[in-house]
Amino acid sequence: MRTLTFIARRAFHAIFVLLGLSIVIFIIARIMPGDPARVAVGARAPEWVVEQLREQMHLNDPLPIQYYYWLTDALHGDFGISLVTRRNVADDIREFFPASLELAFTSLLITAVLGIGLGTLSARHKDKFIDNVVRVISYMGVVTPSFVFAILFLLLFGYVLDLFPTIGRLSEGVPRPPTVTGFMTIDSLLAGNFTALFDALHHLILPAMALAMGTMAQEARITRASMSENLTKDYIAAIRAFGVPERTVMGRFLLKPSLIATISIMGLDFAGGLANAFLVELIFVWPGLSRYGMNAILRKDLNAISAVILVLGVVFIVVNIIVDLVVARLDPRIGLRAARSD
Amino acid sequence: MTFLSKHRVFLVLSILSVFLLAACAAPAAPAAPAEAPAAQPTEAPAEAPAPAAGPTTLRVTFAWPTFIDPAVGNDFSSSSSLINLYDTLVFPSPDGGIVPWLAESWDVSDDGLSYTFHLKQGVKFHDGSELTASDVVYSFNRLKGIGEGFAYMLADAESAEAVDDYTVTITLGKPSGLFLPSLLRLFIVNEDLVRANTAAEGPYGENGDYGKEWLLTHDAGSGPYKVKEFQLEEYLLMEKNEDWWGEFAPNAPDEIRFIGTTEAATIRTLMANRELEISDQWQTVQALEALDEIEGVDIAALPTMTEFYFMINTKIPPTDDVHCRRAMAWAFDYDTAVGLEWPGTRQSQGPVPASLGGHNPDVFVFHRDLEKAKEELAQCKYADEIENYPVEIHWVSEVPDEEKFALLFQSNMAEIGIPVKVVSIPWLSMVENTSSMETSPHIATIYVSSDLPEAGTMLFQRYHSSTANQWLQNEWLLDEEFDARIEDALATVDQEERFAKYYELQDYIAELAPSLFIYDQAEKHAYQSYVDWPALRGEMSAVMGYYFFGPQIQVNPH
Repeated sequence: MRTLTFIARRAFHAIFVLLGLSIVIFIIARIMPGDPARVAVGARAPEWVVEQLREQMHLNDPLPIQYYYWLTDALHGDFGISLVTRRNVADDIREFFPASLELAFTSLLITAVLGIGLGTLSARHKDKFIDNVVRVISYMGVVTPSFVFAILFLLLFGYVLDLFPTIGRLSEGVPRPPTVTGFMTIDSLLAGNFTALFDALHHLILPAMALAMGTMAQEARITRASMSENLTKDYIAAIRAFGVPERTVMGRFLLKPSLIATISIMGLDFAGGLANAFLVELIFVWPGLSRYGMNAILRKDLNAISAVILVLGVVFIVVNIIVDLVVARLDPRIGLRAARSD
Repeated sequence: MTFLSKHRVFLVLSILSVFLLAACAAPAAPAAPAEAPAAQPTEAPAEAPAPAAGPTTLRVTFAWPTFIDPAVGNDFSSSSSLINLYDTLVFPSPDGGIVPWLAESWDVSDDGLSYTFHLKQGVKFHDGSELTASDVVYSFNRLKGIGEGFAYMLADAESAEAVDDYTVTITLGKPSGLFLPSLLRLFIVNEDLVRANTAAEGPYGENGDYGKEWLLTHDAGSGPYKVKEFQLEEYLLMEKNEDWWGEFAPNAPDEIRFIGTTEAATIRTLMANRELEISDQWQTVQALEALDEIEGVDIAALPTMTEFYFMINTKIPPTDDVHCRRAMAWAFDYDTAVGLEWPGTRQSQGPVPASLGGHNPDVFVFHRDLEKAKEELAQCKYADEIENYPVEIHWVSEVPDEEKFALLFQSNMAEIGIPVKVVSIPWLSMVENTSSMETSPHIATIYVSSDLPEAGTMLFQRYHSSTANQWLQNEWLLDEEFDARIEDALATVDQEERFAKYYELQDYIAELAPSLFIYDQAEKHAYQSYVDWPALRGEMSAVMGYYFFGPQIQVNPH
């Protein structure tokens, strides 16, 4: 019951956050240079065509009226027509969002397994050779942008070693499963198409790894720092004094409380990765939301810009709520009430 | 979290990891289609992995988006798609002319206002129905009614009427020498199919949405290829239309895949893996050099209808004085500029690309001569205080290569004492700035492509007053005499007479020096040596998109 109340309260707050976000984005998108209608139909289209499009998009109305139209339609799930793809933005979001989400989830999985794993290893062998190796890897991961990893992985694993496919979500000739969730892996599984399933997973590895490198390095450092700090605490000394095996000490009594900071950052990294993946999506020709959003900005696609940022805003809010719930579960002292300030 | 639930989490993570590892270890082999042709060699050379058995595919990268609706698309990738999916009444020949296509012949009325086309019989759309005159009329009305895409090219055509099933008459509002070539952009759609997929609600009255939404991802054509799969933002896959009325070259590809990327690292990897046959035209010189080093990959530099201009604003000081403009034209180092581009690029010979019909080969061309530059500058009314009139040159920040040309210009002008400020500006800002005389810079560096393979088209779109408020013209020439003469030339039906008028107009523009004509752009593509591409031999038209006409390209066994 307490959890439900917490979620309801956060959802209520989210309404105002999203409303504020939508106003800011709406204004920013409209003060960018260029007439979106003219950009959409091209320089040589006659004026009546441009005017027709402007009328359709209410661009001739004052900004508050435009915002009213946009908000009313958005509340009904209608984000208008995209000037880039020329179809409903809602349809575009439905198509591109799952592709990005699938990539971000895979990246999260890699981050969780390798980041926490390396962090634990590092803490366990603090200031020894392994710790130093992990430190170097982490620093490299943190300071190197994901697109550099993308190019590196593409050339190394896609070309030199030829271990992974380089572009897209499926190989040429592999039949696509019917779209149910938009996740290629899940849809393949639902269709019982294991060829497509393994092919989709195979395509996911390189872009997900490229996205995960930075966050993984960060998570490894944070996990190591938390675990190192907790290692010096009295309760660990007491548990060790009771003769509890070191593996249990590390896994059960040390890792769990040390993960709070890691998971908080991991949540933000997940949402951030979803938003910032455009270069990785571009390099691997991944038809994701981030790339779609970037194209929208370059072509002043007002409706698409607003919708993409709104969707990403929702993702940030949902992820934050989930992180708060997980953190509260990990450390009952924090509790849901304390999370209100977030 | 209990110990048990922790194990559940571990179990889930383990299963997912197993899936990922399995994916790493066992790359899936593409499913071989039932109609797969003869198997490929089983032992391939180490440097060229054997492609999986299956249909031959021509894979080309493009900058997206791609619109395959013939009333919407008009950019490079869209044009390349449309010519493969749809047929047109006429077809471009490599020498810049027009040959019959769906229209076997045509008659022109004495006043030049009425064209009657006699259609080829037995042409089938992709759904098997026959293409008739009513489809041509519907396609004409649809293009004009929507008004987007290439509709502006048929601005002079007023109406179309089906005389019988295989005869159609198109009436013009005024005579036009460009009408026939403009039909290259009237793609014939299947009226019944489009009507059956038209949404009732839409901005076009009783025509609803004119089938626009459906035609975004489907085709309704009769062309040599048909849409097999269209993944927005990812690729367009077309398969051969075996029932097409025309002829395919022996090794014409079974499928054409247009891939939406121009990323240099991606292109390089795909080319090296033999997963890409032809690259897009947007690779930098450095990227092309790297591609050229891959064994089996060559670089093509194909002539285009595009010219790179420094557009000089003729209405603000100091560039409103023709002597200042001529001084700049004499001082610029064209040879160095051309040397910055891929080998094969040539300095422009006047205001229109040399590939266009009606280009004047004897037009006056500036070359670098500092003495003449100084002489001209001395005649400029701002000569005594030229340092007080810094010239701003704006280059498009999305095209990084333009910066070096702007910097070269700055350096060249410094030699004759003209101060130049180099400004990087986003394309959308460039479009907005050039839409008004007050905000147009002294010089804008812009590539312009001719809509049709005739000099008159380029002259009109570059210097006619009606385009002065567009990015096509930063010059603001606003010259009534030029307007009248180009309108007269375009209305001249006789080609010889029309071309003679184009010649004079090119001399007229060269005299005014409203632009620096830098170079005719070469379309640069990396391509695999196993591709037999007639464009390399000058056997394909330079009209936008036609270098990728699938039936003429051969993907040989490799």
